[in-house]
Amino acid sequence: MRITVNGKLRELICDPLQPLLYLLREELDVTGPKAGCQQGSCGTCTVLVDGEPRRSCLLPSVLADGTEVTTIEGLGDAARLDTLQAAFHHYYGAQCGFCTPGMIMAAHALLERNPSPTRSEIQTALGGHICRCTGYVKILDAIEAVVRGETFDESDRTPHPDPAEHEVAMKGAPA
Amino acid sequence: MKSVGARLPRYDGLGHVVGQTMFVDDYRVPDGNLWARALRSPSHSARIVRLDTRKAAELPGVHAIVTHRDVPKNVYGHLEALGVPADEPLLAEDEVRYKGQPIAVVAADSEAAAQAAVEAMELELEEREPLFDIRKSFDPDAPQIHHWGNWYPYFGGPDEGPDRRKVRKGDIDKAFADADTIVQGVYRPGAIEHCPTETQVSLVVPEASGRLVIHSCTQAMYFSMGVVAAHLDLPLNKLKFVGGTVGGGFGGKVDSAAETLSALLALKTEQAVKWRWTRDEEFLASSTRAPWHIEIADAVTSDGWILGRKTLTLHDSGAYARFSPYGLTKHAFHHSGAYTIPNIHFDGYVVFSNRVPTTAMRGFGVTSVSFAVETHMTRIATVLGIDPYELRLKNANRLGDTTPNGVRLPDPSTVATIQAVAGAAGVELAPEYAAMTSEPRSGPLLPPHLEAQQQNGSSPNG
Repeated sequence: MRITVNGKLRELICDPLQPLLYLLREELDVTGPKAGCQQGSCGTCTVLVDGEPRRSCLLPSVLADGTEVTTIEGLGDAARLDTLQAAFHHYYGAQCGFCTPGMIMAAHALLERNPSPTRSEIQTALGGHICRCTGYVKILDAIEAVVRGETFDESDRTPHPDPAEHEVAMKGAPA
Repeated sequence: MKSVGARLPRYDGLGHVVGQTMFVDDYRVPDGNLWARALRSPSHSARIVRLDTRKAAELPGVHAIVTHRDVPKNVYGHLEALGVPADEPLLAEDEVRYKGQPIAVVAADSEAAAQAAVEAMELELEEREPLFDIRKSFDPDAPQIHHWGNWYPYFGGPDEGPDRRKVRKGDIDKAFADADTIVQGVYRPGAIEHCPTETQVSLVVPEASGRLVIHSCTQAMYFSMGVVAAHLDLPLNKLKFVGGTVGGGFGGKVDSAAETLSALLALKTEQAVKWRWTRDEEFLASSTRAPWHIEIADAVTSDGWILGRKTLTLHDSGAYARFSPYGLTKHAFHHSGAYTIPNIHFDGYVVFSNRVPTTAMRGFGVTSVSFAVETHMTRIATVLGIDPYELRLKNANRLGDTTPNGVRLPDPSTVATIQAVAGAAGVELAPEYAAMTSEPRSGPLLPPHLEAQQQNGSSPNG
């Protein structure tokens, strides 16, 4: 089969019924999409197939033949974050990080379709995505910030303090 | 203190949003790795009559099969360092005590080959009657779950029998004799599967020196290292743990799950071995939050003072002890909630059942009793016809009050917290309750039944 993954054309022979997730992870070493529930219920494996969000753990590879697949790795990297990635980082939309790639891909597909969704529309679009750390509010905040057109300047962050700089006696701490 | 209140970037945030964070299953070994799968008990309780892995071992792609005979120290106990005997086999020996308990593991060229080997193993069981309702564990004719009996027998603190965690404070009989009303309640919070999005997984890569590099999703690196070292009888310098990146744990990745058997298979095959649990296995065999049975009886006065509390707790430990005695101990410390109760009688048992062993989950042992206590407080308020906020504020821990264990609280925050909850809920408190602080009791807030305990506390540092 021929499949374009994050802009790169790949030709390979594979089991046509093997889920796309395993083709990506095990054969192409694209490990951004995660195996969560492994039965299409949690959304951690979400990738874009010709721009549409798909649960790659349920999608037989043969159905991705000839398509363009975009995973989290295809959006941006640490030096050049995509706006959604920057928003998730800025608004603490990731806790353990395992659901994050799927969340961002689903949000990306939503904003392509509808650039100004309401909070309720965002909730509906991400309804099938489970964040077991339960960080949903921050995830919704991050996506809403993108909808508002916010840009993310990291200079308002306090850098990690130098522990040697301040010595503050803790109340009640043993001397 | 510059960090307090500051917006600090997460040290791992960038990796998460660009998909570069390396979870255990994301690691790749240059020459590839073998894949592990487990034969798990299909029965809740049974004697193992026969296990034959010979046919499975001959299947194509199978590199090794291990059973309990291959484990240097098969039986281990999480509390061995405290002098408690070991009780849990890494691989079942002559009996199985919960459904999903591992009996044998195989390493093969692919997960499919490993699974085929598991299915080719011949297992013959003699089923026994299982026990799931811990209220029946004390019946004379109850099935015997554990070789220690149906409850954990190694407490034995000062003034305490071995069979239960006891807390005694004040004069409980006088409290009940003086009460206007006794308010009773039974609370049974159920088991919860942590259900992390990342299932249990490990990757073990042997180095040329013989050291094992163990990629682990554990929440407790050094503890897991000790568990692997103990079972495999290896010095710690033969193990290199790589971890700290956990795809959700919530307490469910404290007890070691996959590392030890992956390590054993890696030693046996001299190849890298990865074991990733399926979602089915995660639900079947990973530990859960415990179900609890909590009975509370409070001696109360008509004007809303709690004179005394009697509590009986049964903590369902599942088939083995693991950390449950520790969870129950925390439960015991917290069983008066955020309130001062001068007379206490607490008995707690860690009870065995044919459930999967239970473990920590977000407030080990404490969430269960907090649920019970807060529900009970509202019940008392309802029975007495008193405002539930006022009942809580009146009995709230203040400076000078002591815990069930007699520890004097240096900085109790109950009053301020309840006032904030009332504010957030839009409840207007009566002026004397809105003005309340955590300052030491006096006047009407220091009734005679609280006077003695004000003199008897010990400091939190002993």
